[in-house]
Amino acid sequence: MVQILSGIQSTAAALNAERTRIDVISENIANANTTRGLDGKPYQRQIVVFESALQQAVNNQTEPPTLRVARIEKDTRPPQMVYEPGHPDADAHGMVAMPNVDIHEEMADMISASRAFEANLAVVKNARAMALQALSIGKH
Amino acid sequence: MSPLSAMSPVLSGYGLPQLDAMTPGATPLPLTPGVTGPSPLQAPSEVTPGQETGDSFASMLGQMVAEVNAKQNVATQAVGALQGGQNVSLHQTVIAMEEANVSFQLMVEVRNKLLESYQEIMRMQL
Amino acid sequence: MISALFNQPDYVAAKKSLDAVVLRQEAIASNIANLETPGYKRIDLAPAFRTELERACAGGNAQQIASLKPALAPDAAAVAQSRDGNTVNLESEMMQLNQNAVANTLETQLVSTMLYRLKLAITGKSS
Repeated sequence: MVQILSGIQSTAAALNAERTRIDVISENIANANTTRGLDGKPYQRQIVVFESALQQAVNNQTEPPTLRVARIEKDTRPPQMVYEPGHPDADAHGMVAMPNVDIHEEMADMISASRAFEANLAVVKNARAMALQALSIGKH
Repeated sequence: MSPLSAMSPVLSGYGLPQLDAMTPGATPLPLTPGVTGPSPLQAPSEVTPGQETGDSFASMLGQMVAEVNAKQNVATQAVGALQGGQNVSLHQTVIAMEEANVSFQLMVEVRNKLLESYQEIMRMQL
Repeated sequence: MISALFNQPDYVAAKKSLDAVVLRQEAIASNIANLETPGYKRIDLAPAFRTELERACAGGNAQQIASLKPALAPDAAAVAQSRDGNTVNLESEMMQLNQNAVANTLETQLVSTMLYRLKLAITGKSS
């Protein structure tokens, strides 16, 4: 495969990782009120854990570390208990276990993930523009 | 470095005695022993600067062809590496290709000018 | 004779600067990609290479300029932006990205103009 745009392998990995994070955050937000999931329990917030991985050495050159999703784990914080006696999932005391999703926290995470995603997209656009300029060397 | 200077030692090899022999009324001088006639293909006994220039001109042409060939090889290798997916940079490949083009154009123009000047000399009335 | 054509100090300096700009773009791409990597230190052109390049360009010796090798190094002056030791500041990286893009346009145009002028001088035709 021809690698015309050189030097942006780590950008591709970062785009993947940030995209995964945005997907997970969207899922959290969508399930912020799911009191009964498939397993009968309230939805548990998911967290994306990043790690830095060394890319494969290309042509014996060591590449700088790149971003990777290590795992998606469940947030172990206890669900929020809300007093709502009329709710179908209310227990004997009228408390409903709501998912441990804080909308404000999710929006803040979403903003920072989008920012990183857009920045990496700008890098790709920039690399493409530079490659096109290089191709027109010598022509007028 | 014009071909004329390459020819001048040959012209000077003719020497005055032969010309004197052609003037009317003069007694023909025999070729004195030891004086060999003009031989354009052989260098005269003394190495004149003109003959040296003639040798180096041919070698200069050969050198130019070798350099142009080297530049073409570099460009071809770079393009091959780029298409093979190796880690060569695009701008260096394009620059190598353009340099090979310019070198080749220079060689073509030198050849054209040489041909023109050769034809011009052949047209000269001696 | 051919190598004399391409051994002009200006041309060699423009080519080497273009190499440096392209390498710097890779460094900035890596920095932005590792914006959230824990413990990542931002990289840039090695300061030693920068000073060498400036000195060689001012000196005007084509051989010396051509022998330089562009290199990247971790930026010693960067400060940690977050608790995990990541030293990448997105705003300054985007600024460097834009500046580098303009520098790339400049160097590309320099090299391109010199090659175009050579072609014009050799063939007398402009294309």
